[in-house]
Amino acid sequence: MSSTKRYWKDLGELHQHPGSLEGRGNEFPKELAIDQVLGETSITGASTGRRDFLKFLGFSLGAASLAACETPVIKSIPYVNKPEEITPGVANWYASTFYDGEDFASILVKTREGRPIHIKGNPRFGINRNPALAKGSINARINSSVLSLYDGARLTGPTAKGATTASAWADADKAVAAGLSAAAGKRIVILTNTVISPSTQAAIATFKAKHGGVVATSDAPSPGAVAGAVQHIQYDTISYSGITGANQKSFGKRVFPSYDLTKADVVVSVDADFLSSWGSTSENTWQYAVRRNPDLPMNRHFQFEARMSLTGANADIRVPLKVSELPKAVVALHAHISGNSAGADAAMLKATEGAAKALMAAKGRSVVLAGSNNEGVQVLVNSINSLLGNYGNTIDLDAHSHLKQGDDAAVAQLVKDMNAGLVGALFIAGVNPAYSLPNAAEFKAGLAKVGFSVSFSGYADETASLCTWMCPDHHYLESWNDFHPKVGHYALAQPTIRPLFNTRQWPESLLAWSGNSTSYHDFVKQTWQANMASRGPVGGLFEDTWNTAVHNGVLTVPVAPATTPTVFAGDIAAATAAATKGTKGGGDFELSLYTTEAIGSGQHANNPWLQEMPDPLTKITWDNYVCMAPADVERLGLNMYLGEQAPASVVIVKVGDREISLPVVPTPGQKPGTIAIALGYGRGEFGEKVGRAACVTNHNGEFKPVGRNVYPFTSLVDGAVSYDVLGATVTPGGNTYPVAITQTHLTDMDRHSVVKETSVATYKAGDRAAYNHPHTLGVHEDVNGDGMINAQDRKPVAEFDLWQEHPVEGVGHRWGLSIDLNGCIGCGACITACNSENNIPVVGKDEVRRSREMHWLRLDRYYSSGMTKERAKEEGLGKIDMYLQMEVPEESPTVVFMPVMCQHCNHAPCETVCPVAATTHSNEGLNQMAYNRCIGTRYCANNCPYKVRRFNWFNYNTEKFGEVNPAWDDLGRMVLNPDVVVRSRGVIEKCSMCVQEIQAGKLAAKKAGIPVKDGAIETACSAACGTGAIVFGDLNDKKSMVRGLSENDRSYHMLEEIGVKPNVNYLVKVRNTEEAAAHHA
Amino acid sequence: MAQAQPEDKATYDQGAKLFKGNCASCHKVDKDMVGPALQGARARWEGKGDIHEWVKNSSAYIKTGNSYAKEIFDKWKGSVMTAQALSNEEIDAILYFADNQAAPVAEKPAAGAPVATAPRTTSNWPWLVVIALLLLVVGLSLSGVKRSLSNAVREAEGQEPLPDRGILHGLGQWAWKNKIFASIIGLFIVVFLTLKMWDAAWVIGVYGGEEVEHYKPEQPILFNHTLHAGKADKGNLAIDCQYCHSGAEKSRHAGIPSTNVCMNCHKAVDTGRNTGTTEIAKIYAAVGWDPDKQEYTGKQEPVRWVKVHNLPDHAYFNHSQHVAVGKLECQECHGPIDEQMDVAEQWAPLTMGWCIECHNTKEVKMAGNGYYDEVMARLEDSDMGHEELKKYLEDDKISVKELGGWECAKCHY
Repeated sequence: MSSTKRYWKDLGELHQHPGSLEGRGNEFPKELAIDQVLGETSITGASTGRRDFLKFLGFSLGAASLAACETPVIKSIPYVNKPEEITPGVANWYASTFYDGEDFASILVKTREGRPIHIKGNPRFGINRNPALAKGSINARINSSVLSLYDGARLTGPTAKGATTASAWADADKAVAAGLSAAAGKRIVILTNTVISPSTQAAIATFKAKHGGVVATSDAPSPGAVAGAVQHIQYDTISYSGITGANQKSFGKRVFPSYDLTKADVVVSVDADFLSSWGSTSENTWQYAVRRNPDLPMNRHFQFEARMSLTGANADIRVPLKVSELPKAVVALHAHISGNSAGADAAMLKATEGAAKALMAAKGRSVVLAGSNNEGVQVLVNSINSLLGNYGNTIDLDAHSHLKQGDDAAVAQLVKDMNAGLVGALFIAGVNPAYSLPNAAEFKAGLAKVGFSVSFSGYADETASLCTWMCPDHHYLESWNDFHPKVGHYALAQPTIRPLFNTRQWPESLLAWSGNSTSYHDFVKQTWQANMASRGPVGGLFEDTWNTAVHNGVLTVPVAPATTPTVFAGDIAAATAAATKGTKGGGDFELSLYTTEAIGSGQHANNPWLQEMPDPLTKITWDNYVCMAPADVERLGLNMYLGEQAPASVVIVKVGDREISLPVVPTPGQKPGTIAIALGYGRGEFGEKVGRAACVTNHNGEFKPVGRNVYPFTSLVDGAVSYDVLGATVTPGGNTYPVAITQTHLTDMDRHSVVKETSVATYKAGDRAAYNHPHTLGVHEDVNGDGMINAQDRKPVAEFDLWQEHPVEGVGHRWGLSIDLNGCIGCGACITACNSENNIPVVGKDEVRRSREMHWLRLDRYYSSGMTKERAKEEGLGKIDMYLQMEVPEESPTVVFMPVMCQHCNHAPCETVCPVAATTHSNEGLNQMAYNRCIGTRYCANNCPYKVRRFNWFNYNTEKFGEVNPAWDDLGRMVLNPDVVVRSRGVIEKCSMCVQEIQAGKLAAKKAGIPVKDGAIETACSAACGTGAIVFGDLNDKKSMVRGLSENDRSYHMLEEIGVKPNVNYLVKVRNTEEAAAHHA
Repeated sequence: MAQAQPEDKATYDQGAKLFKGNCASCHKVDKDMVGPALQGARARWEGKGDIHEWVKNSSAYIKTGNSYAKEIFDKWKGSVMTAQALSNEEIDAILYFADNQAAPVAEKPAAGAPVATAPRTTSNWPWLVVIALLLLVVGLSLSGVKRSLSNAVREAEGQEPLPDRGILHGLGQWAWKNKIFASIIGLFIVVFLTLKMWDAAWVIGVYGGEEVEHYKPEQPILFNHTLHAGKADKGNLAIDCQYCHSGAEKSRHAGIPSTNVCMNCHKAVDTGRNTGTTEIAKIYAAVGWDPDKQEYTGKQEPVRWVKVHNLPDHAYFNHSQHVAVGKLECQECHGPIDEQMDVAEQWAPLTMGWCIECHNTKEVKMAGNGYYDEVMARLEDSDMGHEELKKYLEDDKISVKELGGWECAKCHY
C-alpha cells in the first residue's frame, strides 16, 4: 500500500549519508560560475585598468547603438520552381521505415522546407502501432536518428583507404572492378547485418549471379564454401544466434519467433530485457503496456535477472539471481512445468516456484522469454513454452519475425578464412565487426590479408577505416528501401531529403558493380512488381498498390493460417547439459554485458541526444560504468555516494587476459556478487572519425571516446556470442572518475505525495481512499457535524486558496496531460522526442555534472523496498531471509518511473515571484514563458515545487559546446524546429506543453471551421509514448480522453497538498502482486 | 501601346481585340511562341492553301491533305491548334492587325497610371534645424548691428565704446543676472532633449509607421506592385494578392512567389509597360527561359529578393491566422500596396505595441465558424464562463484580446 512505503532516489538519501545530502536544498550551486562566464575571454587574468574599462564601456555602448541603427538586409530567396507539395512554413509528414539491424519501426518523418526535423511512430500502420491508442511505438534511438543525418563526420563520398578527400563514384567503381577481378578464384563475401529487404536480397542475388557462384536462395552457411563463389553472411551485433539455433534444433526452423504479448496473462522473463533491447522492442513495448491497464485483466510479470534492467524495473515480481544461476533457474522452471525435477537445483526450484504456478494456471495464455544467447537455455525455454501450449497463441513460429537472422558460427568461420587467406574480397554493410566482434583483433588481422575490401558505412569508423575503399551508404532518411520484418508484413522507406553528400545506397552500388545501372528506387519498385503476385490477393493496378504502400509506409497481406502444429523436437538432456556447463573463471564476480536504452549496441553512440539521455535506472549520462551491488561496493571500500563533488571509484575489471578500468556505480537491485557493464561505448578508440558525440574532450582535457568498449569481454561459446562472464576479477584502481548523474539534484519537496502505488487487489476493492488518499487540511469549523472542532474536522486541499481563481475552467481550452504511472515503462522516448521538437540544447557531461542539463522533461526513478510478507511467501523465502531482505532494501527494490515536466499549475508559484512578468498564465491553462522578458533572476526556478525550470548558463549554440551541441554548426542546425526559438544565455526555459503544436492545431481547426478534435493535437512526449502513458488533450472538452483520465479514481496531482492546482495529473501505479498472493493462498 | 497609326483603324482595333481574346495565349505577333508568329502568316500561306480553313479547324484541314498544313504541323512538333469559331472577316481583321502592328515602344506611364509617390517625409527635424540656424544667424547679425549702432551712439556722445566681449560671455553675464529665468530655460532644454532622445530610442530598429521613413530596399527586379495588383479601373491588372503570395492562406509565411509563378503570365508577356524588356528579362534569366527559342535552357538562378518585413526571431506570426481565419485585408497591415507602391515598402511599424493595439480592438469574426461556436458554447455552459462572457461583451464585441490575444505564448515560443 502506498502510505507505508519509503521511497528513495539514491543511496545517499536511503542511508541519510550526510556528505551527499549536503547542499541538496540548493538547486543552484553556491559558487556562481562568474569566472567561467568570463573565462571565455579570460578577463580575470588580464590587467585592465579602470580607465580602460570605462573606455571599453563607452565604446561598446556607442558601437551598440550605432549597430542598432543600421538596417539589416535580409535576403529572401524563393524557389525557382516550387515543388507542388511544399508550402514554406508548413510541415510535410512522410511515412517511412526505420531499420538499423536492431530496431524496426514504421515511422512518420516531419519535414520543413525539405529538411527532416522530427520522427514519430506511424499512428496508422505498422507492427509497432498500438491499435488501442492509434500510436506508433518507437524508442529513443529511433526518434533521435534524425539528428545523425546531420552529422558533420559523415563521409562525403567514396574514399580510398588513407585518402583525405573523397573521390568520384566512377573512380570507386573502377577500383572495385579491379579489386573483384583480382579476387578471382578466391571467395567473395558480403558481410551484413540481418537483411530484411527483399530488394536488397535481390541486389545481392544479382551480384552473386554476376560474380560467380550459384544464386542460392538460402544463405545457410557452408564452412567450406566454394572458391570463387559469392557468400552472404549475416551478423547481428547483439547476437540472437542462440535463439534461432535453438529453434532450428527444437522445431527445424532457424528463425526468431514473433510474440504477441497482448495475449499473455503471465510473462516470465529470465534476463530478457524485452522492453528495452531484446527482440522486436517496438512491438514488445506497446503489447506489454496494453496488458498493464488495471481496469482490464492485467498481466503478471516475473523477472529473473542479475542486474536491474528496465524490464526488471517494471516487473511485478523481480527475483535477483546470479548470472550463473539464471540457466539453472530455467532448468528449474522446466522441471516445474514438465514435472520432472531431476537435475534441478533445489534453491532455484524454490525461487521459480511462484512463476511456475502462475504459468501452469495460464496455459496458452503465457510466455516465457530468456535473454541468454545459449542454445541449451533456449531449447529449454522452447520446451517450456511448448508444454504450456503457447505456440500458436502468444508465440508464432509460422508468421515469424525476419529479424535476427545473424549466424555467429558463420562469422567466426569467416574470420578464420580471412586469416587463412581464403577470402579475396569482402564487402561490409551495416555492421562494425572491428569494433563489436569478441575477436575483433583477429578480424582486423584477417582484414589486412583480404585482397580487396569495401565498407558501406557512412562513417570512417573502426571497420571502414581499415577497408580498401569506403563507399558510403545513404542515411536511411535519404533512401528508398523495402522491408519484410515478419511474414505477411511489408514496409517501405522513402527518402525525405535529397542526399546531403555524394553517397550511394549500398544495394545500388552492388547493382552498379554487377553491370546493372538501375537506380535503387526503380529496382525496389521492380522487385515489388515482380513479387506482387506472391504477396497475396492485393488486386488492382500495381501503381495504385505501390502508391498506397508508399503513402502508408506499410503493406500487409493476409497470411494463411499454419496447417501443421508446432511440435517440439528438442533434446532436453543435451540442452540442460549445454545450459549449465558454464565454466567459472578466475575471478569472483559474475559479469553480464548489456545494452542501454540510449546507446544500444553502439551504432548510435555518436548521437549527442542519446548520450545525454540519462539511463532510466542509474540516471548517468555520457559514460558506461560497472554496475555493482551496494553491498559489494561497501565490501570493496569504494565510493558509495556519488554526486557532483563525489566522483566514482575506478576499478580494473579483468576477464582472462583483457582488462579495462571503469568507474563503479552502486546500483540498487544488482545481485551481490555480480556486476554489469554496458556495451556500445568506447567508439573511436583509435582515433576513427565515428561522429559528433562518440568522442569528446574529457575533464582532463583529452579528446577521448565516451566510455570504454567492453565487446572484448564477450566470447564465442558453442557457436554463439555469450554476454555472460562467470569469472571476472575486480580490483580497486585507487583513483576516481567523475560521473554525470542527473537525479541527485532536482529534488522534490517530499515523496509521499509525489508517487503513489498500490496493488491490484487494493485497487479492485474499490475504496479510493485506500490507494489514492485525498489530501485534507484541518480547519477551525465543525465540518463533520459532531459538535466539536477537532482534528477530525478537515477539508480537501482543493477548497483552500491563496490566489484568485484563473478563469480557465469552463472558458475556452484548458490543456492538460495525464500520465499513467502504470503505462510508463521508463523508456525515455519522450525525452528525446522533446529534445527534437523543442530545440533543447545538449550541454555535455561537465555541465550535466553541475546540474545544468536542459531537458524540459525528466524521468524520475524512485526505488522502494520491494520485500513484503506476501512477497516472501510467494517467493518461498524463509522468515530470516525475508527480514534480511527487508533490512537491505537496495538488494531487491521496486521501482517507479515518473515523467515530470512543467505541471502548468493554475496557481503557479513561479508566476508570482517573477519581477518582470516573464512567466505568466494563459487562459488556456498554460504557464507561459517569454524568453525575451526574462532577466535571469531564477526566482521562478527556486520557487518551483517540481524543479522543472532550467536556466541557460551559457550560449549553448557557440563553439564552446560545438563538440556536443548539434545547433553549433551549419549542418547540425538543420535539425532545429523553425517554430521554436533557440534560447540564449541568461534566460530560464521549461516545458511549454508544445505550445507551437497547440497553436498549430487550433489554427487548423479554425481554418476547417470545426472544434478541436480530441487527439488532433499531440505534444512531442505524448506522440512519442507508444505505451499510452502520456495523454494530452483539452480538459475542458468533456468528451476528451484526458478529461476522462483526470476524473479516474487513480488520478492525483503531484504534491496536491501545496494547492498549486496543476494541469498535469498522474494515475496511481498498480502492481499485480497481491492478487498473485491471494491466488496462491 | 504606341505605334504608327494603321490605315484602317476600325479593322485594326477589331483585330487587336480578337487577337487578345483568342490568340494571345499561344501566338505572338512578331515572335514564335507556342505557335508561329502571326505577322506575315497571310503572305506565307499565299498560294499554298486556305488560311481561313486552317485557322478555323487546323486538324480537319490537315486531313484534307494540304502539304503546307502538314509542314507547319510537323514543324511545331504536332501541337494542335484548337478550333476557332471565327468568321473569315474576323480572321482577316486579326491578320490585318498582325501585319500592321509595329514593334511596341517602351513609354512613360500614361496619364492616370500610378506614379511613384514622393516619399513621405515623416519627420520635420531637418526643416526645424534649418529654421533654427537661420534665426540664429539673424539674431547674431542683429546683435552685431545693435552693438555697432550703440557704439556709434556712445562715440557720438563722447563715451568709451563697449568692449567686444563675445556672445558667450554676454550670455553668461545675462544668465548670471537672471538666474531663475536661465535655470528654467536650461531645464526646458534638458527635458526637451531627453524627450527627443527617448522618442528616437523608440524607433530604433523600426522601419515603418508614422514616425520614421519606411524601409524600401532596392530590389533585384523592379517589381511594381501597383501595376500588378492595382485596381483595374485605373489601368492596372488587379491580380489577386494571393495569386502570387499563395502561402498567406495556408502558412505562417505569405511567401515570395517562386519564379515559375511569374512565368504563368510572363511566358506570354515579355515586354513591360514601364520598363520594356529589361526587368522581365531578369525573370527569364532566373528561370532559365530563352524567349527567342521559346524553351527552357535549364540554367536557373534564383532571384535574391530583399526581405522587406522583418520580424524578430522571437516573435511568431502566422499569415494564415490573420488572412484565412481573421479575414483581414492585406492592406490593413501592408498599406496601400496596390495603390501607391511601385516598390514594396514596410508600411506598418511592426512593433509589439502596434500588434497588440490591433488585438485590443479588433473583433473576432466568429460567425459561421464551428470552432468559435464551440468557444461560445463553453462560455455559456459554466458560471465562470458566463461571468467572463459578460465582461467580454461590455463593449458589445469580443475582441482578440479577450480570447487570449494578449497572452505571451500566443506569439512567443
